[in-house]
Amino acid sequence: MNRPFTRRKLGLLFSSGAGLLTAHAQEAPANPPADLQTTAKQQLRKDSEAIAGVELSPSTEPAFQFKA
Amino acid sequence: MAAEINDDIFFATITELNAKLKARELSAVELVRAFARRLEQLGPRYNAVALPLTEAALRHAKEVDKDLKDERYHGPLQGIPYGAKDLLSYAGHPTTWGATPYAAQVFDQTATVLQKLGKSGAVLIGKLSMIELAGGGGYRFAAASMFGPGLNPWDRSRWSGGSSSGSGSAVAAGLVPFALGSETSGSILTPSAFCGVTGLRPTYGLVSRHGAMALSWTMDKIGPMCRSAEDCGLVLAVIAGGDSADPGSAHKSFYYTPQYTRPVKTMRVGYAPVDFAEWAQPSARPAFEQALAAIRESGAQISEIKLPDLPYGALASTVILAEAASVFEPLITSGKVDQLADAKQIAGLKTALEIPAKDYLRAMRVRTLLQKQIRQLFVDVDVLLAPARLGPAPKISEPLDKHASDPKPSQTGLSSVLTQAGNLAGLPALSLPCGFADDLPVAMQAVGPPFSENRLLAFGKDFQTRTDWHRKRPKTA
Repeated sequence: MNRPFTRRKLGLLFSSGAGLLTAHAQEAPANPPADLQTTAKQQLRKDSEAIAGVELSPSTEPAFQFKA
Repeated sequence: MAAEINDDIFFATITELNAKLKARELSAVELVRAFARRLEQLGPRYNAVALPLTEAALRHAKEVDKDLKDERYHGPLQGIPYGAKDLLSYAGHPTTWGATPYAAQVFDQTATVLQKLGKSGAVLIGKLSMIELAGGGGYRFAAASMFGPGLNPWDRSRWSGGSSSGSGSAVAAGLVPFALGSETSGSILTPSAFCGVTGLRPTYGLVSRHGAMALSWTMDKIGPMCRSAEDCGLVLAVIAGGDSADPGSAHKSFYYTPQYTRPVKTMRVGYAPVDFAEWAQPSARPAFEQALAAIRESGAQISEIKLPDLPYGALASTVILAEAASVFEPLITSGKVDQLADAKQIAGLKTALEIPAKDYLRAMRVRTLLQKQIRQLFVDVDVLLAPARLGPAPKISEPLDKHASDPKPSQTGLSSVLTQAGNLAGLPALSLPCGFADDLPVAMQAVGPPFSENRLLAFGKDFQTRTDWHRKRPKTA
């Protein structure tokens, strides 16, 4: 379960150098370009087609609770 | 008199450090202080550190020293410092999952694996950086992390690999004797290979994931990244075991006993020659050929093998994305997903919410088939062998999918799909450093049937008695 991390605690953390976030911190990006989302959707379609191409007997059950 | 702590200590194996502690050549406090200082000083050079835990570690080390003084021994990890990927919760401290939206997240509980290591006397000195959300949505750049790109200790212009980036670089640079990583589809094997450390992906369910970030409930595993196969066995013996708090737990124990597996000289090793001759990058081929020669020298019987013809990439992608989209649905629908560093990851997670139930279910049904077919392979071979990665670490500035459109070799081989196949089937794998290409480490992966960790570790230990690639050190000064 989460519990909130107070500003005071966070301040202490970062002032002690514990965060170490600055070395190569990234700028938060804007929404992904539309072409990335389009590419992702196209990939999902390709994956779906590839999986649909595998022959399965009706008795093959999904690995609902996966066990190795 | 304080013990002299030099590079030989920073690059010593667990067994070597344990011997020094038991012989009182150095104390746990001295060892922990030295490693903690090194982690804080050098860790930022590689963007490897998420959170130093020096004060808590020194308190723990003092308790360990008391136990050692009173000859209360808890095993080979007693007094050994280590680091943990920042997807493992440590009560009362931030656990960021490498992602800005979770930068201030704090849990009340400590992950089962960290509790187990604590009881064994191992001392957690820091949380280590990682690719945001373990890269579940897919990512295009090494910088897909709130900690920046994981920098490789062998060459800081190169990537340390992901998603257990900090674990790989911290072990390679001698900042910790061992680290915990996690793997859903390659996240232990890849950084281990790129950084030249020995990494073990355990069988699905062997190690509890309680207290770890969930990415894909049916594929997530936690495992050790160390200096040798033997060290992996020692760490696995502590972290493995049943846990009712993890619904995926196999409720099996693990005892590190490689001496009781079949001798390596009688092992049957399956491989695909095309992996080494065509798929591997040209600069890496000599190293892979030498590694194969070392395995032949061991007397192991090497034979050609093919994996069943299945769409491994599509299966892994569908299962991981569908499960990740469910785990992170609140992040995605709230719009906070846009705070992630990698645009491809953002797009991947958003799009994953659209995966139809029929596709996920069909993927899981094919997975049942895959599991049966791959188990059948292990009737004829004991171990599958392939390059862990086809070449050395890429430059951090390069898109990670740069080679996707390169000309394809004449046949499929194992290497292009073994990581996905092994993860889909829940199989254990060991990444073994096996040489250098362009002055950077390369590695092989050995994969076995479920719960064959001792067999893989025996195979790795034998390989590491014939070679010294796992002993090579990068220049860190």
